[in-house]
Amino acid sequence: MVNPSRSEDLEALSLTASDHFERLGVPRRHAVDREAFEQAYRERAQRVHPDRFAGGSSGQQRAAMEASAALNEAYRVLRDPVRRAEYLCQLAGIDVDSNDPRAGAPAMGQEFLIEMIERREAVEEARASGPAALDALRGEVEDELELALDTATAALAADDPQAAARALVKRRYLQRLLDEIDGDV
Amino acid sequence: MTNDDISWDDAGALFQIEEPSAPTRGRERRPGCGIGIDLGTTHSLVAIAPHGEPPRALPDEEGRVLLPSVVSYLEEAVEVGHGAHVRRVEDPARVVSSVKRFMGRGLEDIAFTHPYQLGTDGDSSVVRMHVGTARPVTPMEVSAEILRVLKARAEAELGEPVSGAVITVPAYFDDAQRQATKDAGRIAGLEIYRLLAEPTAAALAYGLDKFGDGGGRGLFAIYDLGGGTFDISILRLHDGVFQVLATGGDSALGGDDFDRAVAQHLLAAAKVAQPDAYQREEALMAARTAKESLSDLEAVMVSLPRSGLHEHALTRAQLDAIIEPIARRTVAACRLALKDAGVHTREIDGVVLVGGSTRVPLVRALVASTFRCEPLCDLDPDQVVAYGAAVQADILSGSEREGVTLLDVVPLSLGLETMGGIVEKIIPRNATIPIGARQVFTNYSEKQTGMVIHVLQGERELAADCRSLARFELTGLPRLPPSMARIEISFQLDADALLTVTARELMTGIKQTVEVRPTYGLAESEVDALVMESLDHAQEDYDARNLAEARVELGRVVLAVRTSVQEVGAVEGLLPDEERAQIEAALVQAELAMGPEGPREHRAINAAREALERVSEPFARRRMERALQAGMSGKSLAEIESALADERELDARRGSHDPEMTTPDHGAS
Repeated sequence: MVNPSRSEDLEALSLTASDHFERLGVPRRHAVDREAFEQAYRERAQRVHPDRFAGGSSGQQRAAMEASAALNEAYRVLRDPVRRAEYLCQLAGIDVDSNDPRAGAPAMGQEFLIEMIERREAVEEARASGPAALDALRGEVEDELELALDTATAALAADDPQAAARALVKRRYLQRLLDEIDGDV
Repeated sequence: MTNDDISWDDAGALFQIEEPSAPTRGRERRPGCGIGIDLGTTHSLVAIAPHGEPPRALPDEEGRVLLPSVVSYLEEAVEVGHGAHVRRVEDPARVVSSVKRFMGRGLEDIAFTHPYQLGTDGDSSVVRMHVGTARPVTPMEVSAEILRVLKARAEAELGEPVSGAVITVPAYFDDAQRQATKDAGRIAGLEIYRLLAEPTAAALAYGLDKFGDGGGRGLFAIYDLGGGTFDISILRLHDGVFQVLATGGDSALGGDDFDRAVAQHLLAAAKVAQPDAYQREEALMAARTAKESLSDLEAVMVSLPRSGLHEHALTRAQLDAIIEPIARRTVAACRLALKDAGVHTREIDGVVLVGGSTRVPLVRALVASTFRCEPLCDLDPDQVVAYGAAVQADILSGSEREGVTLLDVVPLSLGLETMGGIVEKIIPRNATIPIGARQVFTNYSEKQTGMVIHVLQGERELAADCRSLARFELTGLPRLPPSMARIEISFQLDADALLTVTARELMTGIKQTVEVRPTYGLAESEVDALVMESLDHAQEDYDARNLAEARVELGRVVLAVRTSVQEVGAVEGLLPDEERAQIEAALVQAELAMGPEGPREHRAINAAREALERVSEPFARRRMERALQAGMSGKSLAEIESALADERELDARRGSHDPEMTTPDHGAS
């Protein structure tokens, strides 16, 4: 049932890959060829899927499960442009999920934080004055979100992860604002 | 929650393989002996597709493939299926239907009307149904009764024990509901190869050739409206890979809701404001029949004798108006799934209809307008899910089969409660499974030596609005300054979308074991106890059958001996008085053994039969010889020889089975 080539697949795709890009076999950069990316994922997912090792030893089943889980996590992170950018920052030593003063998200200035508080208040005012005002605000924030991501990808391309991380943190605040406009919070 | 133990010391490995809950993993799989089961809200069925054969659903003795998911506890012996279904009106509280709606649910989740007496036991949150049995039953045990019947049906067909089963679950089932389904399978004595999402199973059954441009590529929506659950899945098919992009739905929305709405309408028409359980059950059954008829007819007549409603007309337009608000709820879920998949409606190449409720014309019209294409329904929507499960079961049993790879997703986000009751998502919904993810948490004060881990599933921000899966406490954390402790929590989802949580303290690698109690599930020990109990029951069932068979056999022998003793009457020399008295005495003993005071054990009954046979054997032999002599006068030598040969052969055969056993009525006629 389990032929040697399957075992080789497992060895080749085991947890030895050092990062998500390597795991999927795609270049370590933000720009991505969508078609090639999906193709690479499908091929690898097929090769290490636990179902292929249903009749195998428990060791093989374990290896297939681990390889699949790692691959799927890599796919989840890299398929999304925002998470992909955040992950590139992480590889460069800046973790935007952490508030560690050295390796964590860059601190945003007082000015920016005050601006965000004011904009949140503006959302409540817009909500009170009707859907048209809220829609206008939404359009504005959506544009800024896109701009923030563009800034981050440009910074990554220019090998400036610090600037990229700053843009991504700003983007998170804006995303939060958008969620608030949509009433998701 | 799939495991009971959280151990601190398994640093490194993402997956704990030596799970205490999975001792059966790696058990030998027998190719071709895997079965697919669709465990549905209203009906269930089993299909097989051994060694690459096309799938086929297995019927009962009367040719019926669908087994009503109804279990009657009215008699001591549990009755499942059609027999139970017709008895629902007798005592609705003790005949359980639509048990799937209770799977993995807590009392507070059960907001719909039902005729059952529910409760909980001790500090467990598992719902228990008081159905008149000595001990109340859990929904998992009720489901296990249904699974047992289907397993037996498959074994009769295969001619050997089932190696393992793929059981389908609604894609939108959460962890607790999936775990409950898996537990039901184990209680029924099944090795569960896989829990498979129903829409994914349907896609598998349709196969690649039916789809898209013929090259097995395309983007499809599977719309699955069953009796009690609704699922929508968006799939991409590409060269043998079925990739679920997004799934959504409502695990408490289905055709049963249509029935309830129609029943309410009928009771209102009958001017019954406060129906009792019997009236409600009658109205529900009438509503379902009317709904089904209105798929083909424009109007039907409905009567509710218990509520005094006679020949009430119901039109399809009326039906549509009653059910439309419910059916519309599915459209919102479809839109969200498309959005999650990042797909535009116009990119969808086709829509597949699954589930009996998609026979309703209004539902078909809604689907066609939502996806802007005519839905596919070539395969029986009631059977297509079981077909897909059978194909997957064949693959997982180890058969060499033209395989496809299923990449399924988790339907609901998984996370942890953090400070202030906020949920921190660890694995987002629609992530491809299996998957593992970790998050590091820290301490908030130096005095903190423990941490409550509350595992949640759902999309809402607040823990109170999500589904609680498990709660446990880590203790013995090292005393460290605020924000210095590093506690890593790993979530691992397996291919069944079942969750395992692991925790470890990174600074010290402290070692500790914590028991996780699933919030709405059975504890591992309770499942084990039920599995053992079902094995005990298997012995009881076996004994009961042996006893019944022994009685029938004894009855047959008694009747035969009595008849021949009476018939012989005064035939000279055939039955001396002394021997007649012996036989009569043995007959009396045998009749006593069969009576209500007789033994309840098949060996004692068999002993009584053997005694009777022994006593009557010489008489039976003489009768046979006499009959032979009488019969042979005037026959050719060849005929006589042939008859004797037959006789010798018969004797030999009897001898090989049981030296003392002859058939007393031989030659009596």
